[in-house]
Order: sequence, then C-alpha cells, then structure tokens
Amino acid sequence: MKNKVDYQLELDQIRNVLGYDFMALALVESAEFDYVIKWKYASGNLNDRFKRIVLRSGRGIAGLVFKTGKPLLLSSVRNQVGLNHLFKYPIIKSEELASIGAVPLWNDARVAGVLLGGFRSGLQVNEERLEELKNYAQKGIGDLNGKELLLS
Amino acid sequence: MMPAGTDQLGSLMTKLFENSTEAIFFFDKEGQALAMNPAAEDIVDSDILRQLYQGNSHALCGTCRGYTSETELRTCLNCYFSSSDMEDIPSFQVYLETKDKGIIPYAASLHLIDQENSIRVFMLRDLTRQFKTQEKLYQNKMMKHVMEAQENERKRISRELHDSVAQELMSAVVDLRVLKYMTADDQLLKKMKQTEALMTRLLQDIRNLSVELRPAALDDLGLEAAFRSHFKRVEQNYGLVIEYESCLSEKRYSNEIETVIYRVCQEALLNALKYAQVDTVKVTLLEEKDMLQLTVEDEGIGFDPEDEPEGTGLGLYGMQERAELVGGSFSLISNVGKGTKVLLRVPVGEHKEEA
Repeated sequence: MKNKVDYQLELDQIRNVLGYDFMALALVESAEFDYVIKWKYASGNLNDRFKRIVLRSGRGIAGLVFKTGKPLLLSSVRNQVGLNHLFKYPIIKSEELASIGAVPLWNDARVAGVLLGGFRSGLQVNEERLEELKNYAQKGIGDLNGKELLLS
Repeated sequence: MMPAGTDQLGSLMTKLFENSTEAIFFFDKEGQALAMNPAAEDIVDSDILRQLYQGNSHALCGTCRGYTSETELRTCLNCYFSSSDMEDIPSFQVYLETKDKGIIPYAASLHLIDQENSIRVFMLRDLTRQFKTQEKLYQNKMMKHVMEAQENERKRISRELHDSVAQELMSAVVDLRVLKYMTADDQLLKKMKQTEALMTRLLQDIRNLSVELRPAALDDLGLEAAFRSHFKRVEQNYGLVIEYESCLSEKRYSNEIETVIYRVCQEALLNALKYAQVDTVKVTLLEEKDMLQLTVEDEGIGFDPEDEPEGTGLGLYGMQERAELVGGSFSLISNVGKGTKVLLRVPVGEHKEEA
C-alpha cells in the first residue's frame, strides 16, 4: 500500500457517530499471509484476544458475512445463538457482546472486509442501525471503495 | 466316585428340590401340577399357583409369555407345553411373567421322567444376568466397530481431500500466478489477484476440513505432531491458548491408542471452550510405568458433575467409552469455581499390544 490509510482513526470516528460499544473491522491479509481474514482493527475493545483469531470463510460472524456478502443481524445474542453455540463466535464471547450487526465491505464488486458493530448491554442493534452501518460501508472505508457493482 | 445309596440319593434330591434356585415343576399327563419347588412357587402369582394345583391345563399360560422360536422372540405358536415335539430339545428359551420382577427370560427344559404315568418335569433357570452380560459385550463390540468404521471413513475422506482435491487446486493456483506475468493489463491483474486470493482461501478451507476430519499427522507422525497442529488451530479459530507439556517426543503407539488419546483430548478441549469460560487450558501428556496419561486442565468456572449436563452429556459418555475400548480409565474432577480436570490413563505395556 502506497499511502497508508488510518483505518483505526476512521473506525473510531464511525463508532463515535453511531454510538456502538464496540466496533471491529475484518480485512483480508496480504499474499504473504495467504490472504486469510482477520479482525485487524477494533474500537472500544476489552482485550486483544480477537486478534489471535484467524477467520474462516463461512464460520463465525465475519466468515458468514464474507462468504455470503449479506449483512448479519443478531439483535439478541442470547436468544438467537444460545449459550451452547456461543463458542462458534469467539469475538462475541471475548468482547461480551449482547447484540451485534455486521455488514460486508465491498471493493470492486468483491467482499473485501466486514464491519461489525455491537452493544454489551442496554441498546440493541436493529434494522435501522444495520442500515446506518451499511451506509457507512457503502461510502467506503480506507482505500476500499465500497462498490458492490463495478459499474456504479 | 462311590455310587450313593438310594436313601442318600433321595435326601440329596429332596435338598435339590427344596433349595435349588432353579424353578422345578412336575406335571402329570393332563397338565396338572403335581409339585413345585419353593423357587417355582416364588415366581408364580398366587392366583395362578392355585390354578396350577387345581389342574387347569392352561394355568401355565397365565404366567407364560411365550417361548423363542426361530422366527419370533416370543411366540405361542406350536406351544412347547401341549405339543410333544419339544421333548427332544434339551432346552429352549421361555419368557415368564413373574410375581415381582416383571417378564424374565428363562432357559427351560421339559422332559418326560416317568414313561408309565407320563409325568413331566419343567425346569427353569433365570437368564437375566447372562442376557445383560451378553448385551453389554455385544454393545462394546458394536461400539468398537462403529468407532473404527467412523475413523476409517474419516481417514478416507480426509486423505481424498488432502491428496487429490487440494493438490489439483494447488496446481490451479500456481497456474494463476504464472498468468500474472503474461499481461500488463492492470484491470486484468487486479481481477486475477482477487481470484488468486479467493482460491488460496478455498485451498486452506479444504486443508482445514481434511485436518478436522482426521489429521494425517496422527497417522504419519504420531500424537505429538497431531497435538501441536491441533492446538495451533484451536488458537487460531477460537483464540484459546493451550499450554502443552509432553515427554513423548516422537514415540509412537498403536493406532487405536493414539486415536483414543487424540479424540478424548479434542473433546475435553471443546468442553473447556464451550463451558469453562477460560482463555487458557493446560494439556499434559506423559508416560509412566507403561501407562500413558493425558490431563486436560482449566481454571474455569467448573461444574458439579452430579448436575444435569448443560449440553447433551454425550461428550463425557463418549470419552468414557473410548477410554474403555483400549482398557484405559477416564476420570473427571470438577468443582464449581475451581476449574475442571480431565484425566485419561491408558495402558501401553508390551503385553497389551498383542491383545
């Protein structure tokens, strides 16, 4: 990357505006790291455990969103996931999230990343908030242009 | 052996009749009960007992629930009591409704002991215990076969994925990399890079699938190598750190034992991951006096083993079963707030290998 973009700053700013307790951005690693998907940036995190996690397509929040290219909404983690399956979503567990929404971050008609916002208590992510999140993702973050279609 | 006198034999026979745990019935040719020993009176309901003595020829049907034929477990077809065919058969299996133990299987025999008066003796021996033993034996054998079949099938699919699907995909990725040097078109290059990234991830997914089914390292390199890569994967997938200590280095054991140790450890780790609420788990593997010992320990929230299981409870059962299959012992110590410790001990002495 020629001009290093400050994803962290941008993520902090988005969190400020949208008011989430926690936000994270998953991106694809470079060729040296076999293009794996990892949570690269976080804002409002409790610890760094999620940075150890290598995400896999179709598994976990980022994996699902990455594979399907569709947003994921878990308004109530407790009701929609259940304690026995929580281990499949390590970031929810380690960040103690009670409600999350995640949207794909497009770049040139490919999913290039995942943007996640979550609350620990009190507020819940609903359709409206998910739409807000989607709007931010569509505007593009860093040097990812947010374009879902090449010709738009 | 000295032949016993008639007197002595008589008294012995009486004692046998009085004290035997086998039920003995004497019937005359009409089917009336002449005598029953205490063991026999013990199993029959008092109402039917009375009918038997009164000579109701169908009285036995009140307690009999059929005998086992070639086609049916319990049948009344061609009743052993009324037809004479059965008398040549040394013993058969019959089910009786007992006074206080429900329907019980018996090994029965029905012989003519007095030709002139057509007196027959009907003897019953309780088979419950044998049946249970046999069933358990059968179950163990089945379980062993099922697990073996499962492992073999997993091994086959895992190899197939690793050796052919992943290999072919790898060649495709290499080809794609070569393509990059054949054009200067920026747009094309960008697209190719995306495709390469996609295919590389796909390749990893297939490799992961293969390893998850059954790690080739377990068969090719042994426990140590399989454990190390498994722990790395758990850390990558779930962020759970495993402190691993072992003194085995490259030592190999029989395939069966290695599989049991690996699977039990895998299950125990999954449990810790699901329920213990911890960041680290300690695993130790050591050999001591021909015993291979695996411990999986966490300092998590623990639980009361007496409580209803949070999950299905099958995981623990499965670990126990696997341990038993190789003659090992499995134990679990857990206290609320004090973490959980899983201990597996498997004998690996030389004599064991041949068995």
